[in-house]
Amino acid sequence: MRTYKILMLGLLLSVVSCSIDEQVDPNAPSLNSVLKDASITELNLLATGIEGFMRNGFGTYVTSTGSIARELYIFDADPRNTEDLLGKDGMPLDNNTFYLTTPYNNFYRDIKTCNILLESIDNTDNPTQAEKDGYRGFANTIKAFKLFQVLTMLNDNGIRVDVADPNNLGPFLSKADAFRAIRELLDDAQGQLNGSTFAFQLSAGFAGFDTPATFSQFNRAIAARVALYAKDYLGALSALDGSFFDLMGDFKTGPKHVFSTNSGDILNPAFKTPNQSGDQLVVHNDLIADAQAGDDRLNKFALRTNQTTLDGLAGSHETRLYASATSSMDIIRNEELILIYAEGKIQTDMLGDAADALDIIRTGHSLPAYSGPMTKEALIDEMLYNRRYSFWGEGHRMFDMRRYDRLNDQFLPIDRAGDQIFTQFPIPLTEGQ
Amino acid sequence: MKYFFTRASLVLAALLCMQASSLAQFSVSGTVTDQDGVSLIGVSILVKGSSVGTVSDLDGSYELNIPGSNAILEFSYTGFKAVNKPVSAENNKIDVMMSEDITNLEEIVVSGLASTIKRSNLANAVATISNEEITGVTTQQTLDGALYGKLPGVNVVQNNGAPGGGIAIRLRGVSSLSGNNQPLIILDGVYITNAEIPSGSRFASGANVGIEEGSSNRLADINPDDIESIEVLKGASAAAIYGTRANAGVMIITTKKGKAGDTKVSLEQDLGFNTISNKVGRRTFANKEEVAAAFPTEPNAPIEWEAARQAGKIFDYEDEIYGETGLISETRLNVSGGNQKTQFYISGGYRNEDGIIKNTGFDRFSARLNITHEISKSFTISTSTNYVNSAASRSFTGNENEGGLSYGYTLAFTRDYVDLHPDEDGNYPDNPNYTGNPLFVRDHAKNEEDNNRFIQGARFEWKALQLDNQVLRFVVNGGFDILNNETFVYVPETHQAQRGLTNGFVGVGKNKISNYNYQVTGSHDFYTAAGLSFSTQAGISYLNIDRDFLLNRTTQLIPLQTNVSQGGAQVIEQTLENEEEFGFIVQESVNWDDKIIGTVGVRLDKSSLNGDPNKYYTFPRASLALNIANFDFWNAEQVEQFKLRIAYGETGNSATYSSLFTSLENLTIGGSSGFVNDRQQGNPNLAPEISSELEFGADFTFLNGKVGLEVTYYIRKVKDLLYDRSLPTSSGFTNEIRNDLDLENRGFELSLLLNPVRSTAFSWSSSFNFWFNNSEITRLGIPDGDEGEDIPSFVPPNVGFGFGLGTFYINEGSSITAFWGRDDAGNPAISGDASPDFQLGWYNQLKFGKRLTLNFLAHWKQGGEVLNLTRLLSDSGVTTPNEDLDIEGFIEDASYLRLREIGAYYTLPINGNFIESIRLGVSARNLFTLTSYSSYDPETSTKGGSGLSTGLEVSPFPSSKQAYFHISFNF
Repeated sequence: MRTYKILMLGLLLSVVSCSIDEQVDPNAPSLNSVLKDASITELNLLATGIEGFMRNGFGTYVTSTGSIARELYIFDADPRNTEDLLGKDGMPLDNNTFYLTTPYNNFYRDIKTCNILLESIDNTDNPTQAEKDGYRGFANTIKAFKLFQVLTMLNDNGIRVDVADPNNLGPFLSKADAFRAIRELLDDAQGQLNGSTFAFQLSAGFAGFDTPATFSQFNRAIAARVALYAKDYLGALSALDGSFFDLMGDFKTGPKHVFSTNSGDILNPAFKTPNQSGDQLVVHNDLIADAQAGDDRLNKFALRTNQTTLDGLAGSHETRLYASATSSMDIIRNEELILIYAEGKIQTDMLGDAADALDIIRTGHSLPAYSGPMTKEALIDEMLYNRRYSFWGEGHRMFDMRRYDRLNDQFLPIDRAGDQIFTQFPIPLTEGQ
Repeated sequence: MKYFFTRASLVLAALLCMQASSLAQFSVSGTVTDQDGVSLIGVSILVKGSSVGTVSDLDGSYELNIPGSNAILEFSYTGFKAVNKPVSAENNKIDVMMSEDITNLEEIVVSGLASTIKRSNLANAVATISNEEITGVTTQQTLDGALYGKLPGVNVVQNNGAPGGGIAIRLRGVSSLSGNNQPLIILDGVYITNAEIPSGSRFASGANVGIEEGSSNRLADINPDDIESIEVLKGASAAAIYGTRANAGVMIITTKKGKAGDTKVSLEQDLGFNTISNKVGRRTFANKEEVAAAFPTEPNAPIEWEAARQAGKIFDYEDEIYGETGLISETRLNVSGGNQKTQFYISGGYRNEDGIIKNTGFDRFSARLNITHEISKSFTISTSTNYVNSAASRSFTGNENEGGLSYGYTLAFTRDYVDLHPDEDGNYPDNPNYTGNPLFVRDHAKNEEDNNRFIQGARFEWKALQLDNQVLRFVVNGGFDILNNETFVYVPETHQAQRGLTNGFVGVGKNKISNYNYQVTGSHDFYTAAGLSFSTQAGISYLNIDRDFLLNRTTQLIPLQTNVSQGGAQVIEQTLENEEEFGFIVQESVNWDDKIIGTVGVRLDKSSLNGDPNKYYTFPRASLALNIANFDFWNAEQVEQFKLRIAYGETGNSATYSSLFTSLENLTIGGSSGFVNDRQQGNPNLAPEISSELEFGADFTFLNGKVGLEVTYYIRKVKDLLYDRSLPTSSGFTNEIRNDLDLENRGFELSLLLNPVRSTAFSWSSSFNFWFNNSEITRLGIPDGDEGEDIPSFVPPNVGFGFGLGTFYINEGSSITAFWGRDDAGNPAISGDASPDFQLGWYNQLKFGKRLTLNFLAHWKQGGEVLNLTRLLSDSGVTTPNEDLDIEGFIEDASYLRLREIGAYYTLPINGNFIESIRLGVSARNLFTLTSYSSYDPETSTKGGSGLSTGLEVSPFPSSKQAYFHISFNF
């Protein structure tokens, strides 16, 4: 009897050894769910994610490169903004600090999402062929654009382009190879956009650029910028033909990053509260000193009510580039295309065309027409002057200076003895290179 | 599995069939008293080598029928030395006087899921702390804070000084990189949560992650006064039967039970105050030239300073923010008693503590009812019920990014000649040098939490069989812990950093953690005539944890509103987690006459956190204790105990929740939702990390208990450590979870117990606890992998501030707690280590006569560095005090000697009928600290208690010292 009882208990115990269910993530959709048989809804969520995430890291990209190019200072509590970025006392740029990793990581996350969308497209039958090409053209354009932004930071270090398989990443390509790969990708995307349809909607930031045909103009505008950086000036000029380049057009035309206070959305990272201390973008004093009289681009700067200083640096003016935290940021606009055109013409020795284009920019900003010498050198100076003021605080200056070998102390000020001017960012530590 | 288990039951059954027949028997009776002649109730009286026994009754008397013609009776009672008396039919009136056990050899220690063992037979160095040591010297803020320096091998680190907790316990070094290094806590059989729940203040302050919010840990809810004892199973060799949750050790907490006899009532009141234990100081200027030199780019600075000086408006903001005296009041009422069938313990406690920053504080109300009832000779039920309401107001400290909230940050950039005080209309001026005015934040911003918690444990014991030479028992025990935590963060829209940007912040968190667990165990004790006894046990264990963290937050507040619905940018975040675990346990112990004690056991566990949730992982254990002094050949009279012991065991730790998944993250743009890939690449094939520990040591007791010595050495290896590894971020992922790193901890622990003087006029007992631990990363990636194949050294996510300032860095062959910077050539190089060289606790108890006691605890931590980024900030804001300006680098030695606790008590001579006694006392915590560390407290962690989190300081809540007056009445 007793033995029987014990056996019963033993049996009972073994029965309780319940089986535990396979686990599913209760908090978020899983990656695997979109990689196979994705619905149009899922593909569109990825497309929207790609557009939205283009903004992440862009604020740090603008302010870090702007600090290095001595167009602004970041005055906040993080001393690395005024120490590392300006090379204080011989300090190098760290390869694992936010000024590099925030843009780098976020840009590659967006690239990854592009690759996820591309893989999903290959593994679903829900969209039509034309719709598939629309997604592909969109994803490849954005992917190329983000790769290009990474390349601008790492420059001679090169970048990884083939990053679709996280367990088997492609090699670091040289700068020249990376340029080639990015330009091919942009060309492929343009081909895919041709004749495609968009089953997805872009935000109001892409108003006017949200059909395959008009998005293709954006693709070409990016291609023009990439060609310019690759010093293929004829290529840049020819890319402009397919873009929304318009010498007579509004400077401001172009797709934008939009921001809102909606749930899950982000605010304009480069907006700073007027006269705020402790978290401010301070204009380098040279920009005030070097501006030509009457240049209306000085309106981007405002005199602070109290001068602000930090870490031995000081500036009288602060940013007014954006009116509010929900103001949009330009991705690329007609003003830049006009200046790309001017630069392309200078470099191909069509100085008259270049001067005409520069005059459009000058008069557009309340300056008299160009009256300097019609030499290549003088026009380059003039072109760079205009780029400096037209694109202040938008992430161009460091690369413009570098393209003309001016990213050094002959052309840029050393504000504190011992500061250095960096020309590129190191490869992030995590790349294990 | 079924086969294995059925066999175990058959073994049990077979053992049961070997019933010994009973022959002649005789009766023994007598009384049991202590040294003063007071009857001892509930003394266990056992015929040695059998299960025959009884307990003494309300008068201390007993009667027992014993088979055979003679026997040895063992009298044992908690806190008293065991007594052995030979009895026979002729010698059958035995009165016994028991004396206090000053060496704790007789202490009963948990050895299995449903069994206990005498400390003198234990093969592990299990650290035990009694109520007297927990709360006997001074009043404790939190239970974990009460353990500092009292137990060897137990490192306690206060992450920040805010009232209401924020403490990390680490046993024998780091055991995990990804998960929690906090021990498993079991209170009266219930697995209780010790979570650090973030409030979401990071969304206003810009702190990088939730662990930087300086949250409290929920052990703070437990009233330290309710605790009878805590046993700490420090490593795998002792904790193996807790299997897959025991990698960081186990703390077994037992609350007080009533004792049969007169009802005892005690009312205790503490009054005290908190003050900052150490001020760092502020930069001061003697003249305008010094101001000009400090701010070379600001021609106005000397003029402003001079004007302020003449107006008498140079302020000490450190004193204004951290200089409050916080009142502390604690009231406790205990009622306990019962009869032989039913015993009860009722307690109520209320603690109210104000912090050293205005508007900060901690409140705890706790009520407890513990009942033990003997239903019949063979059935006993006991329950423990605890309700707690605790609330804390912690304000804003620690790391942030441009939030203008954390006081340490704002103070670092606030110059003492700038007037930040409000005008008559209550308008606070902006801070011209940072994004926040600390006085405004102190007066108007809120960071609060409120916890309601219900912990219920129950234990049901059935003595299925009791014969002369064997006992069979079944124990069903378990319980639940339900925690409802609410957080509230409010930053007004007028706050400097919010104005014109996010325009105010409200965060409301509703967080629920509910655990339940149960355990069914059968145990069989079998005694043989040869002095051998066997103890067999088998059982199952089940654990279920549910977490539901809901955070509603909004920015763009409608002016003056503090309700989360009154904002223009609302975000809701919910995190759900469910964990399930199931295991089998089998254990066999053999004891040969208290001379040789051997144990082997195994636990098989499966967990929903593993890649395969239904795969069982095996956690074996084995141990051997040799009581050399109990052998007949031993004749050194002066040495009462000489024990050699060795133990081996394995435990596990599964990956943190969601490590198995690769997810997509939600975002919106232009009102539409979208997905982007998550930062973390999950791994669906994860197995638990396994810790194996070999521990050996020796215990001695000499000179009639005057000297006790315990030495232990351990080698603790953690295999296949789970860790977040930073991936090449070009993959789009920031980190992945891997399972291929080995770590080794080696350490030494020594306890020396001295009772040099013991007399009624004066007695002194003193204990030294000395310990150290060294770690080494022994494998990284593929074993002996070639270059390129192996995993290169790496910086885990969120463990530091880059090589520029200092970071932890996983490098084969190096200590896991080392700080790394760069050498002159730019290569990573070790610049310090957060682990101390050694620690020493010295606890003393002095009794003068019967009425006056003096106790104190000193704690010495030698070595161990802290990365002091508070000074980096004050350097940047030019507020570092003049005397600290010449300190080189930010990694500082954090050695200290601290008088942790001191207390003196006097019992008034009262012979009233109503009041039995009145006790008065004064005590203090952290009265003084000797250290060369330049910031607030050498003991700090800006990243909370998890993972590799020690030794990083970023503007913490400064630590406080406390002084108390106590009065207690016993009725």
